[in-house]
Amino acid sequence: MQVLPTDVDKEQVQSFKEFLTSYNKLSETCFVDCIFDFTTREVKKKEDKCAMNCMEKFLKMNQRISQRFQEFQMIANENALAAAKKLQQ
Amino acid sequence: MAGQPVIDEDKMKLVQELEIEMMSDMYNRMTQACHKKCIAPKYAENELGKGEAVCIDRCVAKYLDVHERVGKKLTQISMQEENFMKGQPKPG
Repeated sequence: MQVLPTDVDKEQVQSFKEFLTSYNKLSETCFVDCIFDFTTREVKKKEDKCAMNCMEKFLKMNQRISQRFQEFQMIANENALAAAKKLQQ
Repeated sequence: MAGQPVIDEDKMKLVQELEIEMMSDMYNRMTQACHKKCIAPKYAENELGKGEAVCIDRCVAKYLDVHERVGKKLTQISMQEENFMKGQPKPG
């Protein structure tokens, strides 16, 4: 029996892919910004704290950006709708 | 949409998918840009500072604004180019 990918699968794969990509980007950013001590192999307490703060801050920033983006999109949609209505009249 | 040439469903779907993909790419780029512009790489706290929050709000608004401006200008220029090419005799 052959399993055909459905639209739902495709969407799930896509969102998983996006999650992994942002995970990679996040660890790169926090590593670059927080890890400076290469005299030891251990992740220092300070570095760990910085990296964890970096991650939490990033998530909060993402939330805020998404909120603002949605607001803009809603306004743009409303404007487009109003313009379309005006054209119809 | 009235007056537009009829586009078959497959093409519509492709265009829609492309639009979503482009939107998400733009969103990711905006996130990266605003992170770089607004968040100082000193992570002493796990909360967004007030200044950082305001900066992000403005950054998103400005990014979308510039995105629109660039799009308009790009359309304008490429239309000019197209008209110019039409008026030009074909080479060779």
